[in-house]
Amino acid sequence: MLVNSYSKKIFNLAYQFSGNYEAAEDLTQEIFLKLYGSLQKFDFSRNFTAWLLTLSKNYLIDQYRKTKREKSSRDEFDEHLVAADRRDGPEESAVQRENQKLVWYGLSQLSPDIRMAVILRDIQGKSYHEIAEIMSLPLGTVKSRVNRGRLQLARILQTESEVGHGM
Amino acid sequence: MECERWEGRLAAYLEDELGGAERTAVEDHLQACPACRELLDLLRSVQVSLRSIPEVEPSPALQRRLAAVPDRKKRLRFGFDLFLNPSLQPVLAAATVVLTLISFYAFSPRRSSINKSFERQIHLGYHKIAKLYTQAESLASSLAGYKDSLMVSLQTTYPLQRDEE
Repeated sequence: MLVNSYSKKIFNLAYQFSGNYEAAEDLTQEIFLKLYGSLQKFDFSRNFTAWLLTLSKNYLIDQYRKTKREKSSRDEFDEHLVAADRRDGPEESAVQRENQKLVWYGLSQLSPDIRMAVILRDIQGKSYHEIAEIMSLPLGTVKSRVNRGRLQLARILQTESEVGHGM
Repeated sequence: MECERWEGRLAAYLEDELGGAERTAVEDHLQACPACRELLDLLRSVQVSLRSIPEVEPSPALQRRLAAVPDRKKRLRFGFDLFLNPSLQPVLAAATVVLTLISFYAFSPRRSSINKSFERQIHLGYHKIAKLYTQAESLASSLAGYKDSLMVSLQTTYPLQRDEE
């Protein structure tokens, strides 16, 4: 069943993009409604996962542009993510945890297109070719967006660490 | 400002995408430039942090909502299909014509003259009905006259026969 196979993937994409758990639930439901409405248009020569991710990406970015609601309501980093992270151990440094938080909040500072490219590449671990197919962009553009996103996030870390040392 | 041109290559360097000569050039620059070394460390931290963001489980409530999506979609489709049912087409066509006429009337600039024309037609119709009613009354009274004379003639014929018996 489509829901069982893809709900976690789509929900996580929506959550990482919007940063808000409740909003991600609503967005996921809307994406599945859209999916069931568009299944007839699916071209069977295409990769279904990539097609579904393209549909999800388009919907998430469109909704972001319409509402821009997550700018003011990104969840606290610890709220859902720490509970889900079973890889955490006592050896994980406080600096690493702080960087994770800053990067999580920093995602909302990125433009939607750049944010989506960074999420697909660095959080979801997709290859550049897969991202190019999902985002319907040339490979070079995808690489440039991921790079710009990472640089912006690095600048955020840099600014915060300078502020921390200044205090 | 000098370092800005190296920034784009740092990401490629991190992902091991640079060829031999370019890689050596980046490494030489990194040895000479503490700012770019710091930026490279920050980019590594960003990558590590992003990669360690865990997957979150969707709540059971969301799973239930998603499981209901196909039925919900079917219901929506059923409503739409019903609307497009061929047996409803004449009704929809008639409704369209009526609505078109009503909208012509409602938005016509000559609405008052249409009203007057309607009133005149109604008045003429009323007048015709009144005339027909009068004619019907006179027909009824002449029929009553015929009936009376018929009765008189019958009464005059039958008493004569009884006298003969």
